[in-house]
Amino acid sequence: MTDTLFPAATGTMGQPERRYEAREKVTGSAAYASDVKLARTAHAYLVTSSIGRGRLQSFDLTAARALPGVIDILTHETIGDEIRQTPSIYGGGYMADTLRPLGSAEIAHWGQPVAMVVAETYEAAREAANLVVVSYAAEVAPVAGMGSSVATGQALDPMGFAVGDFDTAYRTANVTVDANYTTPAQHQNPMELFATQCVWEAGRLTVHEPSQYVNNVKFGLAAQLGLDPSRIRVISTYVGGAFGAKGFLTHRTALVAVAARRIGRPVKLVPTRAQGFTVSGYRAETRHHVQLAATQDGRLTALRHEGWEVTSRADTVAMGAVSMTARLYACPNITARVNVVAADRSTPGFMRAPGEMPYAFAMETALDELAHKLQMDPVALRRVNDTQTEPVGGLPYTSRSLMLCFDTAAAAFGWQGRPSEPATMRDGDWQVGWGCATAFYPTHAGNSAARVRLSADGRVHVESAGHELGQGMYTMMAQVAAEELGVPIAQVTVALGDTDLPPAVVAGGSSSTASVAPAIMAACDAIRRRLGIATGVPADVMPAMEASGLGTIEEFTEVRAHGTAPDSLRGLYRGMALPAGGVHLPDRVQFALGAQFVEVRVHRRTREIRVPRVIGAFAAGRIINPRTAHGQLVGGMIWGIGSALHEHSEIDTRNASYINANLADYLVPVNADVADVQAIMVEEEDRLVNRAGVKGVGEIGVVGVAAAISNAIFHATGIRVRDLPIRIEHLM
Amino acid sequence: MSDSERKTEPVSKRRRNFLIGSAMTGVVPVIGWAGQAQATTQAAPVDARAALNVALRVNGRLHQVQVDARMTLLDALREEIGLTGAKKGCDHGQCGACTVLVDGRRELACLTLAVAAQGREVVTIEGLAAPDGTLHPMQEAFVAQDAFQCGYCTPGQILSAISCVHEGHATSPDQVREYMSGNLCRCAAYPNIVAAVLQASQQMGD
Repeated sequence: MTDTLFPAATGTMGQPERRYEAREKVTGSAAYASDVKLARTAHAYLVTSSIGRGRLQSFDLTAARALPGVIDILTHETIGDEIRQTPSIYGGGYMADTLRPLGSAEIAHWGQPVAMVVAETYEAAREAANLVVVSYAAEVAPVAGMGSSVATGQALDPMGFAVGDFDTAYRTANVTVDANYTTPAQHQNPMELFATQCVWEAGRLTVHEPSQYVNNVKFGLAAQLGLDPSRIRVISTYVGGAFGAKGFLTHRTALVAVAARRIGRPVKLVPTRAQGFTVSGYRAETRHHVQLAATQDGRLTALRHEGWEVTSRADTVAMGAVSMTARLYACPNITARVNVVAADRSTPGFMRAPGEMPYAFAMETALDELAHKLQMDPVALRRVNDTQTEPVGGLPYTSRSLMLCFDTAAAAFGWQGRPSEPATMRDGDWQVGWGCATAFYPTHAGNSAARVRLSADGRVHVESAGHELGQGMYTMMAQVAAEELGVPIAQVTVALGDTDLPPAVVAGGSSSTASVAPAIMAACDAIRRRLGIATGVPADVMPAMEASGLGTIEEFTEVRAHGTAPDSLRGLYRGMALPAGGVHLPDRVQFALGAQFVEVRVHRRTREIRVPRVIGAFAAGRIINPRTAHGQLVGGMIWGIGSALHEHSEIDTRNASYINANLADYLVPVNADVADVQAIMVEEEDRLVNRAGVKGVGEIGVVGVAAAISNAIFHATGIRVRDLPIRIEHLM
Repeated sequence: MSDSERKTEPVSKRRRNFLIGSAMTGVVPVIGWAGQAQATTQAAPVDARAALNVALRVNGRLHQVQVDARMTLLDALREEIGLTGAKKGCDHGQCGACTVLVDGRRELACLTLAVAAQGREVVTIEGLAAPDGTLHPMQEAFVAQDAFQCGYCTPGQILSAISCVHEGHATSPDQVREYMSGNLCRCAAYPNIVAAVLQASQQMGD
């Protein structure tokens, strides 16, 4: 990894330690939820709605029930009142949507679970599910999405804001840009399917399910089933990718729990890849109207960003990232607005850089259009408008190293000397173009607790109900404890992903490390105080531990994150620890920032688009492990390539279904799509964001790449594409 | 299955094994051959859904398991034999997470019926490390190059990568990218996977 500049590091923190669980992951012994073997397991298979809007008229279960091996079939008619109606996270509850699982005959969207078959084998359950005859009444055609009109949109006033006088400034400006952009629906498609296993023992329920928030599942399920939460344990030792899809409670968990209780046996459900497209939320399609005005020397005088997002009829969900795009650059006159369009679709949710990716695509492409009109270098345009104070509320950035990122990445890329005119670079039959964009991601943290145990033999054990999603959580938490107690990392063990452990924040919003590391640090402080060792300076605790004559010292601490409500620590113990920060603080704004540069090649005849080079430089505060951070940033940028060129959940408007609900037709980047992708970590110290100084790198890598690719394609061809994904037909 | 093993089995099972042998040619659809059996033998009707006894040789060990005729090799490994290293990512041969070695070649265990794997050598991720725990050079390279994040696609990537080297398709970064593109990695650890395959290919001496 010679392409990476590692920040200077003295202790264990900051070192590129190998992954804690590496051996388990390369030998197949890492047990994901569906790998856990339970005795006498029955297998479940979902039946999902084939219509987009209407009612269930009847079921004919005769053939399915007659099939050998079939044990039970759950429908809204057979399940009774076992699952209660509970609110979604948007209404203060736990669910990813407000629909009650198998709650009624109403069909709110294609793919909605309408029945679940339980059988002795997976094969029998699948066959029986195919024998379930469902009759629907579908009198009204579904609204499949935004269609061609945004007139049906509903403004979300609390998400809008304005400063100065946009209209006058725009009208009287020297140079303006006025453009519309769109991004498609996308699905996270983690490699691991949405598996759930439930087993009841003596009135206690254990759930094995990949989760970004085990306590959300525990407390949400308790509310749904009317159970004391202490009777539920949720285990998620390893998660096979999540990317936002496994953040909040979905319908399947209660169904599997109820089925397991009904038949008195463990039940295992592994929904198919196609079913996964509606098991959880997704990134909804968006439209954008951006207007920019600037002086001849490039200073922004007016900025307007209005977004439209698809939501479901049941839930009003909007990512509304105008709150960020309007705060990136100095500008005295700003107007921002967010609208939703309710469709007959499943409720959207979170997908890696949920609002940041689409809103950045619009804003960072518009800025490139402005640079072109001004005949100005796109980096120079960002420099002219760089600011240490966000322009909407006048709040300071805790730290902002954007131009250092641009200069670092530009130098590594060889940006200097780029011809400003498009369609002027050629390599044989390939048109070559270079583009760039700003990447940003708000710095979040949530309340978290941790327990650290130091033993007389020098072993340290760390416990947290945080989550290992692939970001390196086990490794980083071991590094934090090793450094704080001055012991070798090999002596540290870490337990994560289990509601029996001290509760932690949802693993979302790039907040895990920034939230759990401070809790571990505080627990280590408590151990040091017990031993009479000063905190905040490097020290080896072992001499004092030996002198103390103690066998073990164990400390449990909880840490409240900046920006959370004073009484919010109680929510930590109710599955309600959500990230705070970013642009939602009264005193400051917190962002990780980056600069991304891309080379594209467009074939002169076939119009094939290739991305031979991507270089990003990122300033994200302290990097606890540059090795795992590098993986996050590079992976994020490859997601950016996917957003720019591949990913699109195609919708059949007749029944508001996904046509390409599989991994052959929903295109994600494969190895051959990716060539040289480099991540440079720019040194940055920020002591304000949280005690660990961590800003988080899980999502920022995705954010600017689609705009940088679109800008590079314009530079290569002179064709401006404002709709994702960019395909051959756009360049004909 | 050897002749000596076959002799110990009841007659009815022998017939089934013959039919499985036919299915292994890949010409006769699975559902079809049970019907054919009825027509040709005039024996009691065969239940296409009845459990079949099959012997699967996995990582050098013979496993006698009962499987549904429709059960994939992937599900047989995971549900019946207890080897959960091979992963289900799509069940349609689109993602590569279930890749195993069958007779030394990479195959998708989700597109291979368990009955069709009889008499063939199956190697899964659990069979790669030496008995003393020493990792296979490809496993070691994946660790050294940080060629994974969540780890879910990793067993399939590693087995595919070993095959890629044996096939002679690991001579350049571009070639590795092309011949490893059947294995999706949603964490997108691709650059590190390429580095790992190239590192291991030198150590594997192929």
